[in-house]
Amino acid sequence: MSVAIRVENLHKSYLRMAPGFRLRTLKSALLQRSLVGGHKEEDTILALEDVSFEVEKGTAFGVIGSNGSGKSTLLKILAGMLQPTEGRVEVSGRVAALIELGAGFHPEISGRENVYINGAVLGLTRKEIDRRYDDIVEFSGLTDFIEEPVKNYSSGMYVRLGFSVAIHTDPEILLVDEVLAVGDEAFQHRCLRRIEEFLAKGNTLLLVSHSLDTIERFSDEVLWLEKGRDRLLGSPRRVADAYRLAVAEREGQAHLAAKEARQKELQGGPGAESGEAPDVDVASGGKSPEGVEAGGSEEPRRWGSGEAEIQGVRLVDSNGEEKYNLESGEEVCFEIDVEAHQELSDFVFGIGVFTPRDVEVWGINTGLSGYASEGLKGKTRVRLVCPALRLAPGEYLIDVAVHARDGYPYDYHRRFLSFSMVSSSRGVGVYFPRYRWEFDEAVRWKPPSQDTEQD
Amino acid sequence: MTKVADRLFRFRGLLATLVSRELKARYRGSVLGFFWSLVTPLLLLGVYTFVFSVVFKPRFPGSDPYVLFLMTGLFPWTWVATSLMEGTNSLTANAGLIRKAVFPAEVLPMVSVLSNLVHFLFAIPILVGGLILGRSLGYPVGGWEAILFPAIVALQLPALGGLTLGLSALNVHFKDVKDIVGNLLALLFYLTPIIYPLGFLKGYKPLLWAIEWLNPFTPFARAYQAVLFHGALPGAQIWIQMVSWAAVLWLVGCWLFGRLSDSLVEAV
Repeated sequence: MSVAIRVENLHKSYLRMAPGFRLRTLKSALLQRSLVGGHKEEDTILALEDVSFEVEKGTAFGVIGSNGSGKSTLLKILAGMLQPTEGRVEVSGRVAALIELGAGFHPEISGRENVYINGAVLGLTRKEIDRRYDDIVEFSGLTDFIEEPVKNYSSGMYVRLGFSVAIHTDPEILLVDEVLAVGDEAFQHRCLRRIEEFLAKGNTLLLVSHSLDTIERFSDEVLWLEKGRDRLLGSPRRVADAYRLAVAEREGQAHLAAKEARQKELQGGPGAESGEAPDVDVASGGKSPEGVEAGGSEEPRRWGSGEAEIQGVRLVDSNGEEKYNLESGEEVCFEIDVEAHQELSDFVFGIGVFTPRDVEVWGINTGLSGYASEGLKGKTRVRLVCPALRLAPGEYLIDVAVHARDGYPYDYHRRFLSFSMVSSSRGVGVYFPRYRWEFDEAVRWKPPSQDTEQD
Repeated sequence: MTKVADRLFRFRGLLATLVSRELKARYRGSVLGFFWSLVTPLLLLGVYTFVFSVVFKPRFPGSDPYVLFLMTGLFPWTWVATSLMEGTNSLTANAGLIRKAVFPAEVLPMVSVLSNLVHFLFAIPILVGGLILGRSLGYPVGGWEAILFPAIVALQLPALGGLTLGLSALNVHFKDVKDIVGNLLALLFYLTPIIYPLGFLKGYKPLLWAIEWLNPFTPFARAYQAVLFHGALPGAQIWIQMVSWAAVLWLVGCWLFGRLSDSLVEAV
């Protein structure tokens, strides 16, 4: 796969705006093409410090971080509006950027004229815009308002028009800052579909947001920026969880006492101290020392704040016997042993079943099943019973988690254990439903027939 | 340096859209609309005719009727003055656009220059009407040399465009630039042969030399006066001066803008 965006050791400094710099700044801008060149370090602010990442073509890349973490600066550099102070940025492909709400629109003039101006800024000729005009307006859903001056538009309408123009200019790389979250649910669905089509064509999306929901929903990979540095890069689930932990911690909700008690008890348990989710090699049964990641850059397999802890998971058949080699369609029970280190009122138990190639086969949690948590204290055994687990033959892995309703993880085990499915019947895919073929007299088969019924 | 010109060419569609928007916006909501572009010079012509043929009777040799001589230099000067005033401030005034969206900033000063060019061209029929009237009254004004008018405009455009580009970029760093430009223009008006023919200054040699060689707009004013008013061909010296000013101002303006454009988004 080729790379759409490559960022290497990117630094960006801004100049503190103080009086008396004007002449030196102009000199530096003229001679070095940068504002900060002629200035001392203390006169500058480092907005991005040594950030590196790559985005492959055809993928969606998310960037999260709190206010002032450098997200917008990064986006503006990728869009070519700002020049890096140090480091290299390569963006290969035609770029469209939605940087700020309503930016690029002239408030006094109509939506129609703004579509033309916006399209022209994105590099379309008048004829090309003429051709796409109806699609643009229709997608934005603003047919009735398109002749109105855009100053009368709501923020949602701005976003709809802006996104619609941008996506209709056929960019190869779309840079979006925050703004999508402003659209209503219906528009977000349309955006999502459109973005999926966009990605399926081999195009690339880079999304900047502090809304974790948006990020988790759209991204294949997520970068967490903090104070201008790349703090964590990885799968959306993992980065979002780590971010949630850090946010909770910063807000002083980290239940410090519980954590400290736990850290003494369990060396290298799911510590929340760094928010960076140290790896715990659960599968091998041992608890590896904190911070050691098996396999270098591999993702950690366990993270969470530790208020509640998953102590074990078993698969049990209908006779109550532990079993990891299952017949497709037989009754299976997932037993999860959980210990709450303090009394919790906000909790969700969840299980996810994956193929070894990371396809999510099935996921369920008590929240989705409609249970509203009230209290959890001490040790408990949660049982999830499937009267007939109809999966295709093969290997499966499960994730087990106990977390708060907003996703704040107490303990998240990734790929906690594996089991295999066997079946006497054949088929492809991951799901083996009950099925039956039916034919009329027009179809004839040679004896012996195929297995025509499968239970 | 070529980057600025390249981008102006690439975004010519945007340039055209913005110029037409600028023109429409100016008269939006007014009853006469575009006719104001004709009414304003017409009123000016009327007032000046009254003032300079009834109230004052200025006597410059070879500038009769004076009001037509004055208009010939004044209309192109108005293009220069309004373009420089609006254009110098164009980046700062649109800071929101430049800072928040991907926008080709070099387009903005050029929009000022081009929309004011259109206004200038709208005033030309009024001037031509006046010249025809003057000729029918027996004054020796106008002639076939007027066909060279587009050539002079074509040379003034890069001169004015380059100057506006450069000043707009400087104004981002020093907000004083637009005030300096405003005041300099008021002074420069009298240092350009508009209300008097250049020959009038014969007695003041150093001033004459400075106005003739250091003021970029002197050759343009003289050229307009030659082809429109005097019905004469501008001399070779005037052509050379126009071409040189056009080349120098365009190149310097583009160079300055190109140099400063990398840091524009931060500075604006």
